[in-house]
Amino acid sequence: MDLGSILYLGVTFGLFVIFAAIVIRTYSRKNRDKNETAKYRMLDDD
Amino acid sequence: MEKPQYNTDIVKSFVHWSVLWGLVAVLVGVIVSIQMTNPEMNFPPYLTFGRLRPIHTNAGIFGWGVGVIFATFFYIVQRLCKVRLWSDKLAKFQLYFFNTTITASAVTLILGFTTSKEYHEMEWPIDLMIIILWVTFAINIIMTIIKRKEEQMYISLWYMLAAIVGVAILFLVNSAAVPVSFFKSYSAFAGTNDANVQWWFGHNAVAMVLTAPPLAMFYYFLPKSTGVPIYSHKISIISFWSLIFMYLWTGAHHLLWTPVPDWIQTLAMAFSIMLIAPSWGSVINGYLSMKGQWHQMRENYLVKFLILGITFYGLQTLQGPMQSIRSFSAFIHFTDWVPAHIHMGTMGWVSMVCFASIYFLVPRIYGKELYSIRLANLHFWLALTGQLLWSISLWIAGVLQAGMWNAMNPDGSLTYTFMETMVEMYPYWWVRTIGGTLFMLGVIVFIYNLFKTAHNGEKTASLAATAEGRA
Amino acid sequence: MWEKKPILLLVLATAAIMVGTTVTMIVPFMSVNTDADKIASVKPYTPIQQEGRDLYIREGCNNCHTQTVRPLVSEVLRYGEYSKSGEFVYDRPFLWGSKRTGPDLARVGGKYPDAWHYKHMDSPRAMIPGSNMPDYGWYKKNPLDPKMIQRKMEVLGFPYTTEQISALADKNEMDAIVAYLQKLGSDIPWRKAAKTTIVGELKNPFVGNKSAIEAGEELFENNCEACHGENLEGGIGPELTDIDMDDSDLYQIIYNGIDDGGMPAFGSLGTNKVWQLVNFLKSGDSD
Repeated sequence: MDLGSILYLGVTFGLFVIFAAIVIRTYSRKNRDKNETAKYRMLDDD
Repeated sequence: MEKPQYNTDIVKSFVHWSVLWGLVAVLVGVIVSIQMTNPEMNFPPYLTFGRLRPIHTNAGIFGWGVGVIFATFFYIVQRLCKVRLWSDKLAKFQLYFFNTTITASAVTLILGFTTSKEYHEMEWPIDLMIIILWVTFAINIIMTIIKRKEEQMYISLWYMLAAIVGVAILFLVNSAAVPVSFFKSYSAFAGTNDANVQWWFGHNAVAMVLTAPPLAMFYYFLPKSTGVPIYSHKISIISFWSLIFMYLWTGAHHLLWTPVPDWIQTLAMAFSIMLIAPSWGSVINGYLSMKGQWHQMRENYLVKFLILGITFYGLQTLQGPMQSIRSFSAFIHFTDWVPAHIHMGTMGWVSMVCFASIYFLVPRIYGKELYSIRLANLHFWLALTGQLLWSISLWIAGVLQAGMWNAMNPDGSLTYTFMETMVEMYPYWWVRTIGGTLFMLGVIVFIYNLFKTAHNGEKTASLAATAEGRA
Repeated sequence: MWEKKPILLLVLATAAIMVGTTVTMIVPFMSVNTDADKIASVKPYTPIQQEGRDLYIREGCNNCHTQTVRPLVSEVLRYGEYSKSGEFVYDRPFLWGSKRTGPDLARVGGKYPDAWHYKHMDSPRAMIPGSNMPDYGWYKKNPLDPKMIQRKMEVLGFPYTTEQISALADKNEMDAIVAYLQKLGSDIPWRKAAKTTIVGELKNPFVGNKSAIEAGEELFENNCEACHGENLEGGIGPELTDIDMDDSDLYQIIYNGIDDGGMPAFGSLGTNKVWQLVNFLKSGDSD
C-alpha cells in the first residue's frame, strides 16, 4: 500500500468514526430522552 | 413568566413581497415556455428567452424561495427562542434592501448584464448587495438564537444555522471575479476549474437554499399544523449531520463525462447515492409523525400541502441520485428530463411547503381566519396537477429525445439529425406550458385568498393578539 | 453540547461543509489547468472573438446550447471529437451549459462557412425549418466598442495588436459573434483526424432506383437546400444543376465535406442516405 491509499483509508475510517460517535451520542441512554425534549417544547407556545 | 412581544409586522411584509416575486417568477416561466414553442414571441433585445430565463430562475429561487425563508425564519426563530427578534431595525432594512436587490437583479439581467453562471447570473455589484443582505439576515438570526430563553435548540434552528453558513461560503467563492467595468466581470476561475466551482455552488445552492430551509419549515410547521410532535428528534439530528456533510461532495454529478477529472465525478456519484439516506430520514420522520393522524390529510388543508411536499422531496431525492449515475446521466443529461426533475423539486417540494407555511401564518399575521379554505383546496389541486403535467410531459419528452439522439443505423451512422429530434419536442413543450399555466392560476387564487383575508372580515380577539405579537 | 450552543453548532456545521468542499472543490485546482493539462495549439481569443464570446454570454446562448462533447459514440458522431480540459483554459467563465435545446456548439468552428452563420443568425428558420431559435439580425445594427474590448483584453491578459483593435471600428456585433463561433473547438486539428478514409472501390448501390432519388430529394430539402437553393441554383454553396463528376467522387465530398471550402461533412447521415443524395443530384431532377 502506498501513502495515498493509507491516507484514503485513514480519512474514510476517521469520517466513519465521527459518524458513529454522533449516532452513539445521540442514542446513548443519557441523551435519549433529553434529545427529544425539544420536539415537545416547540409545541407549547402560541 | 411574561410572554415575549414578537415582531410579526416584519413577517407579514416578507410574506407579501415574496408572494409578489413568486408571481413574477411563474409568469416569466410561462412566458419563456411559450417562447420555446413560438420563437416569434421573442422580442429582442430585452425580451428574448436567453435573457428572460435567468429572471425566471432567480426570481423563483431568490425572490420567492429566499423571500419565504426570510418571512418564515423570522417567525420561527422568535417562537423557538421565545424572545423577540434581536433587531427590528435591521430586519426592516433587510426588507427594503431585499426588494432593491431583487429589482436590481431583474433590471440588469434584462439589460444583458450577466455572468452566465447558472443561479448566479447577476454581475458583481449585485453580488455585493446579496452579501450585505445575507450578513444582515445572519446577524439577526444568530443574535436572536444566542439570546434565546429556550435552552435546547429545536432541529429547525439547526437547519437555519447550517443554511446561513452554507450559503455564505458557496456564494463568496463562486462570486470571485475580476471586474472590467461596473457591468462586466470575468470569472476568477477558468474553464474546467470554473465549471467545477460553479456546480459545487449550483448543486449546493439546492442544498442550502432549496433543501435545508424548507426542511426547517417542514419540521416546524408540520407539528404545529397537526398538533402532534415530530416522530423523532434524534432521527432529525442524524439526518442533519449526514445531509450537510454529504451534499458538498456531489456537485460534479452535473459534470459527468465532461473534462472534469474522473475521480471527482466518481465521488460525486457515490455521495449522491449515499444522500438518499439522510434525505429519506426526513421523509420517514415526516410520515411517521402522521401516525394516527392520517385523517388530517382529509380535514386539514395545511397537512395536505406539507405531506405532498415531503412526498415530492422523497421522489426528488430518489430520482436525483439515479440521474447521478454515469450510465444514466449519459442518456438523460442535457435533455428535457432534467428541467422536469428540477421542477418537481421547486414546484412540488419547495413551493408546496412555502404555500403551507404562509397559510399557517395567515391567521397569525392578519389576526383573522383565512378567507376561504375552499379556495386553498382549489389552489392545492391547481398546483399539484400543474406540476405533474409539467414534469411528466417532459420526462416523456426527455426519454424520447435521448433515445433519438442515441439511435444508430446498422452501418454505425446516426438515425436522426438534431432537428429531427428537436421538432418532436414541440407537443410536449405545449403540455408543459399548460402545466405551468395551471400552476400560475393556483398562485393567483392563493394571492386572491390572501388579499381577501387581509381586507375582509373582522379580527378575532385571540388571533389579533397573536398578530400584534403578544403570544 | 452543540444542541445548546449555537456558535459551536455553527463551527461544527462549517467544518462538515468544508470537508467535501476541500476535497472536491479546492484540491482539484492542483491538477486542473496545469501545464500537463494545456494543449499547445489552443490559443487565447483574439479581440473580436472574445467580444463575440461576451455577446454569447450577454444573450444567454448558454441557456440553450452546450459546449462540451462527451466521449459517447453518438455524441462524437454528431458533434465531433470529445472535449478536452486543455481546450478551455482561456474560458472565463466556462460555457459548457446544462441543456441542449439547440445542438452542442463545442465543435461548430469551421463546420459552416461564415455566410451560413450570417444568414442563420439573421433568420434561423430560413436556414433550418422548424428551429425555435430567436432572430439575432439586430446584431448588425450594433457597432463594437474598440476601447472597451481593448480593456477586456488587458484584464484577461490575452495578447493583441493595435491593428486588431483598430480593425474593430468598422465591425458590428454580428461580425463578432460569427468570429467567435468559427473559433469554437477548432484549435485542435480534429477535423482532419476524423476524416474517413475510404478504402476500395465505391459502388453506387442505387443505380436506376427511382425511390432512392425521391428519398435523396427529401434529404436534400432538409440538409442541403438552405445553401444550394431550392432548385439547385446555388446560394452560399455553388449551383448543382449540372454535376460533372463520378458518383464515387461526389459521394466522398458529401461524406467528408470540403476543408476550407465550408462544405460540412454529412457522413453521419450514413452511407445509404449519402448514396441517395448522390442519386438525386445526378438525376437532374430538381423539382
